[in-house]
Amino acid sequence: MLDSNAVGKEYEPFTFEVDRCKIKELCLAIGDNNPLFFDKNFAKKEGYKDTPVSLTFATLMNFWGYPEIWTKMKEIGIDAKKLLHAGEEYEYFEPIYPGDIIKGFVTVESLRSSDTMDIATFKTTFSRDGKTVLIAHMKIVVILGA
Amino acid sequence: MVKLNFNDIKEGDQIPSLTKEPITQIQLVKYAGASGDFNPIHTIPEYAKEAGLDGTIAHGMIVMGMLGQMISNWVGVKPVKEFSVSFKAITRPGDILTAKGEVKRKIENADGKSIAIKVQIEDQKGEVKVGGKAVIKID
Repeated sequence: MLDSNAVGKEYEPFTFEVDRCKIKELCLAIGDNNPLFFDKNFAKKEGYKDTPVSLTFATLMNFWGYPEIWTKMKEIGIDAKKLLHAGEEYEYFEPIYPGDIIKGFVTVESLRSSDTMDIATFKTTFSRDGKTVLIAHMKIVVILGA
Repeated sequence: MVKLNFNDIKEGDQIPSLTKEPITQIQLVKYAGASGDFNPIHTIPEYAKEAGLDGTIAHGMIVMGMLGQMISNWVGVKPVKEFSVSFKAITRPGDILTAKGEVKRKIENADGKSIAIKVQIEDQKGEVKVGGKAVIKID
Protein backbone atom coordinates (compact mmCIF):
# COMPACT_ATOMS: atom_id res chain seq x y z
CA MET A 1 0.00 0.00 0.00
CA LEU A 2 1.38 3.36 -0.97
CA ASP A 3 1.59 6.23 1.48
CA SER A 4 -0.71 8.69 -0.27
CA ASN A 5 0.50 11.49 2.03
CA ALA A 6 3.79 11.39 0.15
CA VAL A 7 2.32 13.03 -2.97
CA GLY A 8 4.08 16.34 -3.50
CA LYS A 9 7.00 15.35 -1.31
CA GLU A 10 10.27 17.02 -2.31
CA TYR A 11 13.56 15.25 -1.69
CA GLU A 12 16.84 16.99 -0.97
CA PRO A 13 18.34 18.34 -4.22
CA PHE A 14 21.38 16.57 -5.68
CA THR A 15 24.24 17.87 -7.82
CA PHE A 16 25.62 16.13 -10.90
CA GLU A 17 28.65 17.26 -12.87
CA VAL A 18 28.37 16.22 -16.52
CA ASP A 19 31.38 14.20 -17.57
CA ARG A 20 32.42 13.84 -21.23
CA CYS A 21 33.31 10.23 -20.58
CA LYS A 22 29.83 9.49 -19.18
CA ILE A 23 28.21 10.91 -22.34
CA LYS A 24 30.31 8.51 -24.44
CA GLU A 25 29.72 5.58 -22.11
CA LEU A 26 25.94 5.85 -22.42
CA CYS A 27 26.15 6.10 -26.23
CA LEU A 28 28.51 3.12 -26.45
CA ALA A 29 26.15 0.97 -24.38
CA ILE A 30 23.20 1.90 -26.58
CA GLY A 31 25.32 1.42 -29.72
CA ASP A 32 24.84 5.03 -30.77
CA ASN A 33 27.83 6.15 -32.84
CA ASN A 34 26.56 9.60 -33.82
CA PRO A 35 29.68 11.87 -33.86
CA LEU A 36 27.52 14.63 -32.36
CA PHE A 37 28.12 12.97 -28.98
CA PHE A 38 31.84 12.18 -29.46
CA ASP A 39 33.44 14.81 -31.67
CA LYS A 40 33.55 18.40 -30.42
CA ASN A 41 34.47 19.84 -33.81
CA PHE A 42 31.62 18.00 -35.48
CA ALA A 43 29.19 19.22 -32.79
CA LYS A 44 30.37 22.81 -33.26
CA LYS A 45 29.80 22.61 -37.01
CA GLU A 46 26.26 21.46 -36.24
CA GLY A 47 25.68 24.56 -34.12
CA TYR A 48 26.35 23.15 -30.63
CA LYS A 49 28.72 24.64 -28.04
CA ASP A 50 30.28 21.21 -27.39
CA THR A 51 29.15 17.56 -27.60
CA PRO A 52 25.69 17.60 -26.00
CA VAL A 53 24.28 14.79 -23.88
CA SER A 54 22.04 12.32 -25.71
CA LEU A 55 18.25 12.26 -25.33
CA THR A 56 18.05 9.71 -22.50
CA PHE A 57 20.96 11.04 -20.43
CA ALA A 58 18.60 12.17 -17.66
CA THR A 59 18.19 8.58 -16.49
CA LEU A 60 21.94 8.45 -15.85
CA MET A 61 21.89 11.72 -13.88
CA ASN A 62 19.04 10.33 -11.78
CA PHE A 63 20.60 6.98 -10.96
CA TRP A 64 24.19 8.19 -10.49
CA GLY A 65 23.24 11.53 -8.97
CA TYR A 66 20.52 10.28 -6.64
CA PRO A 67 20.85 6.54 -5.91
CA GLU A 68 18.92 7.25 -2.69
CA ILE A 69 15.77 7.06 -4.84
CA TRP A 70 15.60 3.28 -4.20
CA THR A 71 15.41 3.81 -0.43
CA LYS A 72 12.94 6.66 -0.88
CA MET A 73 10.68 4.39 -2.94
CA LYS A 74 10.72 1.82 -0.19
CA GLU A 75 9.81 4.47 2.38
CA ILE A 76 6.60 5.31 0.55
CA GLY A 77 5.61 1.68 0.15
CA ILE A 78 6.99 0.73 -3.26
CA ASP A 79 8.28 -2.82 -3.51
CA ALA A 80 11.43 -2.15 -5.55
CA LYS A 81 11.92 -5.86 -6.22
CA LYS A 82 8.65 -6.10 -8.13
CA LEU A 83 8.62 -2.76 -9.88
CA LEU A 84 8.29 -2.35 -13.61
CA HIS A 85 9.19 0.76 -15.55
CA ALA A 86 5.93 1.77 -17.23
CA GLY A 87 6.85 5.04 -18.89
CA GLU A 88 9.36 7.84 -19.19
CA GLU A 89 8.76 11.39 -20.35
CA TYR A 90 11.19 14.24 -21.06
CA GLU A 91 10.73 17.94 -21.66
CA TYR A 92 13.87 19.58 -23.00
CA PHE A 93 14.60 23.30 -22.57
CA GLU A 94 18.35 23.70 -23.17
CA PRO A 95 21.08 21.31 -24.36
CA ILE A 96 23.33 19.96 -21.58
CA TYR A 97 27.11 19.94 -22.12
CA PRO A 98 30.28 18.44 -20.58
CA GLY A 99 31.33 20.34 -17.45
CA ASP A 100 27.81 21.56 -16.66
CA ILE A 101 26.93 21.48 -13.00
CA ILE A 102 23.35 20.25 -12.93
CA LYS A 103 21.08 20.35 -9.90
CA GLY A 104 18.31 17.76 -9.68
CA PHE A 105 15.11 18.18 -7.68
CA VAL A 106 13.09 15.00 -7.26
CA THR A 107 9.44 15.08 -6.21
CA VAL A 108 6.69 12.50 -5.86
CA GLU A 109 4.32 13.57 -8.59
CA SER A 110 1.50 11.06 -8.19
CA LEU A 111 0.62 7.85 -6.39
CA ARG A 112 -2.28 5.56 -7.18
CA SER A 113 -3.21 2.24 -5.62
CA SER A 114 -5.79 -0.30 -6.68
CA ASP A 115 -6.43 -3.91 -5.69
CA THR A 116 -4.12 -5.13 -8.41
CA MET A 117 -1.40 -2.54 -8.75
CA ASP A 118 0.45 0.48 -7.38
CA ILE A 119 1.39 3.24 -9.81
CA ALA A 120 3.83 6.01 -8.93
CA THR A 121 5.28 8.92 -10.88
CA PHE A 122 8.43 10.77 -9.89
CA LYS A 123 9.33 14.10 -11.41
CA THR A 124 12.90 15.38 -11.60
CA THR A 125 13.58 18.99 -12.54
CA PHE A 126 17.17 19.55 -13.69
CA SER A 127 18.56 23.06 -13.56
CA ARG A 128 21.81 24.83 -14.45
CA ASP A 129 22.60 28.22 -12.88
CA GLY A 130 19.06 28.34 -11.53
CA LYS A 131 17.46 27.83 -14.94
CA THR A 132 15.48 24.67 -15.79
CA VAL A 133 17.14 22.72 -18.60
CA LEU A 134 15.22 19.44 -18.51
CA ILE A 135 12.24 17.86 -16.76
CA ALA A 136 11.87 14.08 -16.48
CA HIS A 137 8.85 12.07 -15.36
CA MET A 138 9.36 8.43 -14.47
CA LYS A 139 6.31 6.19 -14.12
CA ILE A 140 6.61 2.87 -12.35
CA VAL A 141 4.14 0.09 -11.66
CA VAL A 142 4.13 -2.64 -9.05
CA ILE A 143 1.83 -5.59 -9.75
CA LEU A 144 0.36 -6.67 -6.43
CA GLY A 145 -0.13 -10.22 -5.24
CA ALA A 146 2.26 -11.52 -7.89
CA MET B 1 21.42 14.99 -39.50
CA VAL B 2 19.07 17.14 -41.51
CA LYS B 3 17.66 20.60 -41.05
CA LEU B 4 13.92 20.23 -41.50
CA ASN B 5 11.88 22.53 -43.67
CA PHE B 6 8.34 22.89 -42.34
CA ASN B 7 6.79 23.34 -45.79
CA ASP B 8 8.35 20.15 -47.14
CA ILE B 9 7.01 17.97 -44.33
CA LYS B 10 3.73 16.12 -44.69
CA GLU B 11 1.70 14.25 -42.10
CA GLY B 12 2.38 10.56 -42.61
CA ASP B 13 6.00 11.08 -43.71
CA GLN B 14 8.26 8.28 -42.44
CA ILE B 15 11.42 9.21 -40.63
CA PRO B 16 14.59 7.18 -41.39
CA SER B 17 14.31 3.87 -39.52
CA LEU B 18 17.13 2.26 -37.57
CA THR B 19 17.80 -1.48 -37.23
CA LYS B 20 20.11 -2.39 -34.38
CA GLU B 21 22.55 -5.26 -33.90
CA PRO B 22 21.11 -8.11 -31.76
CA ILE B 23 21.01 -7.17 -28.05
CA THR B 24 23.81 -8.94 -26.16
CA GLN B 25 24.25 -9.77 -22.49
CA ILE B 26 27.52 -7.81 -22.36
CA GLN B 27 25.66 -4.79 -23.76
CA LEU B 28 23.25 -4.95 -20.79
CA VAL B 29 26.23 -5.09 -18.42
CA LYS B 30 27.63 -1.99 -20.14
CA TYR B 31 24.27 -0.26 -19.95
CA ALA B 32 23.98 -1.05 -16.23
CA GLY B 33 27.34 0.61 -15.61
CA ALA B 34 26.60 3.57 -17.87
CA SER B 35 23.13 4.31 -16.50
CA GLY B 36 23.63 3.28 -12.88
CA ASP B 37 20.64 0.92 -12.97
CA PHE B 38 22.13 -2.19 -11.39
CA ASN B 39 18.95 -4.22 -10.99
CA PRO B 40 20.41 -7.77 -11.37
CA ILE B 41 17.36 -8.84 -13.36
CA HIS B 42 19.20 -7.29 -16.35
CA THR B 43 22.62 -8.79 -15.78
CA ILE B 44 22.52 -12.01 -13.73
CA PRO B 45 20.66 -14.94 -15.36
CA GLU B 46 20.25 -16.88 -12.07
CA TYR B 47 18.65 -13.88 -10.39
CA ALA B 48 16.30 -13.35 -13.34
CA LYS B 49 15.26 -17.02 -13.15
CA GLU B 50 14.53 -16.73 -9.44
CA ALA B 51 12.31 -13.78 -10.34
CA GLY B 52 10.31 -16.09 -12.59
CA LEU B 53 11.79 -15.12 -15.96
CA ASP B 54 13.49 -17.34 -18.56
CA GLY B 55 16.62 -15.24 -18.32
CA THR B 56 17.81 -11.66 -18.17
CA ILE B 57 15.76 -8.88 -19.75
CA ALA B 58 16.94 -5.60 -21.23
CA HIS B 59 16.59 -2.32 -19.36
CA GLY B 60 13.56 -0.48 -20.75
CA MET B 61 15.73 2.61 -20.92
CA ILE B 62 18.28 1.08 -23.31
CA VAL B 63 15.40 0.47 -25.72
CA MET B 64 14.18 4.06 -25.26
CA GLY B 65 17.81 5.06 -25.88
CA MET B 66 17.70 3.31 -29.27
CA LEU B 67 14.54 5.22 -30.19
CA GLY B 68 16.36 8.36 -29.09
CA GLN B 69 19.26 7.37 -31.35
CA MET B 70 16.91 7.22 -34.33
CA ILE B 71 15.56 10.68 -33.51
CA SER B 72 18.98 12.29 -32.97
CA ASN B 73 20.40 10.60 -36.08
CA TRP B 74 17.67 12.45 -37.92
CA VAL B 75 17.63 15.93 -36.34
CA GLY B 76 20.25 16.05 -33.55
CA VAL B 77 19.10 16.92 -30.03
CA LYS B 78 18.58 20.69 -30.02
CA PRO B 79 15.24 20.74 -31.89
CA VAL B 80 13.77 17.94 -29.74
CA LYS B 81 11.44 19.52 -27.16
CA GLU B 82 9.58 16.49 -25.85
CA PHE B 83 10.15 12.75 -25.96
CA SER B 84 7.97 10.29 -24.08
CA VAL B 85 7.43 6.55 -24.17
CA SER B 86 5.44 3.69 -22.69
CA PHE B 87 7.14 0.35 -22.15
CA LYS B 88 4.96 -2.38 -23.66
CA ALA B 89 6.88 -5.65 -23.83
CA ILE B 90 10.04 -7.29 -22.53
CA THR B 91 13.23 -7.28 -24.65
CA ARG B 92 15.71 -10.12 -24.28
CA PRO B 93 19.30 -10.74 -25.39
CA GLY B 94 19.24 -11.89 -29.03
CA ASP B 95 16.33 -9.64 -29.99
CA ILE B 96 16.90 -7.53 -33.08
CA LEU B 97 15.17 -4.19 -32.72
CA THR B 98 14.04 -1.78 -35.41
CA ALA B 99 13.06 1.79 -34.55
CA LYS B 100 10.52 3.55 -36.76
CA GLY B 101 8.64 6.80 -36.75
CA GLU B 102 6.24 8.96 -38.70
CA VAL B 103 5.01 12.52 -38.69
CA LYS B 104 1.59 12.66 -37.01
CA ARG B 105 0.89 16.35 -36.91
CA LYS B 106 2.26 19.70 -38.05
CA ILE B 107 1.83 22.39 -35.41
CA GLU B 108 1.92 26.13 -35.96
CA ASN B 109 1.11 28.42 -33.03
CA ALA B 110 2.43 31.34 -30.94
CA ASP B 111 5.50 29.26 -29.99
CA GLY B 112 6.41 28.77 -33.64
CA LYS B 113 6.46 25.72 -35.84
CA SER B 114 6.92 22.14 -34.77
CA ILE B 115 5.99 18.59 -35.67
CA ALA B 116 4.67 15.78 -33.49
CA ILE B 117 6.06 12.39 -34.42
CA LYS B 118 4.97 8.93 -33.37
CA VAL B 119 7.78 6.49 -32.68
CA GLN B 120 7.99 2.81 -31.90
CA ILE B 121 10.52 0.04 -31.73
CA GLU B 122 9.75 -3.58 -32.51
CA ASP B 123 11.60 -6.89 -32.57
CA GLN B 124 12.26 -9.36 -35.40
CA LYS B 125 8.73 -10.78 -34.95
CA GLY B 126 7.07 -7.40 -35.14
CA GLU B 127 6.25 -7.21 -31.42
CA VAL B 128 6.22 -3.58 -30.28
CA LYS B 129 8.53 -3.14 -27.28
CA VAL B 130 8.30 0.59 -26.71
CA GLY B 131 5.97 3.18 -28.22
CA GLY B 132 5.91 6.91 -27.82
CA LYS B 133 6.03 10.34 -29.30
CA ALA B 134 8.29 13.31 -29.71
CA VAL B 135 7.87 16.98 -30.52
CA ILE B 136 10.46 18.59 -32.78
CA LYS B 137 10.74 22.33 -33.19
CA ILE B 138 11.45 23.74 -36.61
CA ASP B 139 13.04 27.17 -36.98
